[in-house]
Amino acid sequence: MIKLIGACMTVAACGSMGYTWARVYEKRPQQLTALEAALQMLETEIIYGATPLPEALSQVAAKCDSQTAGLFRDAAGELRKMKGITAAEAWDRAVNRFFPETALSVQDLQILKRFGVSLGASDREDQAKHIQLAKSQLRQAAVQAETLSRKNSAVFKYLGFLGGLVLALVLY
Amino acid sequence: MAEDTGNNRKCRQKRESTVSMLSRDILPILPGKIREIITELPGDVLEEIEEIRLRQGKPLMLGLTREDVMITPQGQPTTVSEFGYTVTEQDVLRAVQLVSGSSIYAFEEEIKNGFITVRGGHRVGLTGKVVVDKGKVKTIKYISGLNIRVAREIIGAADRVMPYLIDPVSKEFHHTLIISPPRCGKTTLMRDIIRQLSTGIPKLDFKGRTVGVVDERSEIAGCFNGVPQKDVGIRTDVLDGCPKAEGMMMLIRAMGPQVIATDEIGKPEDAGALEEALNAGIKVLTTAHGADREEISQRPVLKYIMEQDVFERLIVLGRSKGVGTVEDITDLKKGKSLVR
Repeated sequence: MIKLIGACMTVAACGSMGYTWARVYEKRPQQLTALEAALQMLETEIIYGATPLPEALSQVAAKCDSQTAGLFRDAAGELRKMKGITAAEAWDRAVNRFFPETALSVQDLQILKRFGVSLGASDREDQAKHIQLAKSQLRQAAVQAETLSRKNSAVFKYLGFLGGLVLALVLY
Repeated sequence: MAEDTGNNRKCRQKRESTVSMLSRDILPILPGKIREIITELPGDVLEEIEEIRLRQGKPLMLGLTREDVMITPQGQPTTVSEFGYTVTEQDVLRAVQLVSGSSIYAFEEEIKNGFITVRGGHRVGLTGKVVVDKGKVKTIKYISGLNIRVAREIIGAADRVMPYLIDPVSKEFHHTLIISPPRCGKTTLMRDIIRQLSTGIPKLDFKGRTVGVVDERSEIAGCFNGVPQKDVGIRTDVLDGCPKAEGMMMLIRAMGPQVIATDEIGKPEDAGALEEALNAGIKVLTTAHGADREEISQRPVLKYIMEQDVFERLIVLGRSKGVGTVEDITDLKKGKSLVR
């Protein structure tokens, strides 16, 4: 009887592990799309509103989904401290804190970091170019992530469950 | 008049401590290294700072009341350029970002005019490679030099000129022109005249008037996001960053000012707008660059305005007894000095 309960627990544990892995794959495209939407809002604020950056970042944070909002709110906060850091540095710090809590890959991180380098440091025309570049890169990454997710999330779910089953059988 | 404008006046004026003003407005826009250097400066140098000049690859320089000095990396004034702290490319880039609140795109118009006004009403002049489009300045690229001009507000700077500008019987303000060479306290004096006209002067039994200010270069009221950072009185409306002639017309049409104040007239269209204001029965307060009456009379537009005999009072500023010395006040109608 105890053996049976143990086997069930093994299957459940391995199954949920596979499920968690699958979730990471499913989350990444969602987060990338959310980031792209947020950059779209930032573009509007900068190009059409000419809103100063700290305010523009806060505006975006107020409008986008809660996880992405954290990144923008954090960057705005860093800038508002007026500790002598540039927008690029404030963005970099915020991205570094944001990244570990997301399902994003290292390549995605690089897109965000490259985008930050020119943030706020040039005229509107130039800002528009940089934002559009980052947006298109994020979109591409989202498409790839979507394909990967479709392929892998099912695999990981089954793999976890079946792996658990095999383990249970071997131990039984 | 000129004798006791210096120290005597200083004692009576409510003067905000320069150090606290510097640390609130100026230090946050300086890059880290230069911020440290400025913080280390001796107190008497800090008190006198009028300009902080950053030129890429050149020593960090401070414009003081009487002279300019270079600053060593340890924060000591020096006159030997080799000992001065050399401003790096990074310092300049960083300063530009900090001055603009990391939002250069939001200051395109300001950069076209060559300066940005920061919190506290201080102006930062910019130089570098100018990009021209169809004969007009489009922007400044590769900014390599900054001049941070510390704006000082001296409440009471106009105390001793006000009795000459207000008619003792009718209590009317006279049309006034202030002429002064650069850096002699023209804007400071004008701002305090505006404040007193707007708030009222109980001592002279003068009730406040509605004052409209066209602040083309954001110097008078030192607006930041449209809100005056300097005390310009309780009945003052400010059009910030607005061309003078258009601004005067906008005020006349919509704000019903009793006094219009604007600085540095000199363009042909300014004369037209001034006449419009005079026809509407509005009193005028304005300034012009120049050392004395003869010098400004050589400039066509000013000559024309002077020939119209509109101004009733002429104030001449200089620095013979320090910044803001009132050299002379003339009653232009009678053609004689009121203070000599």
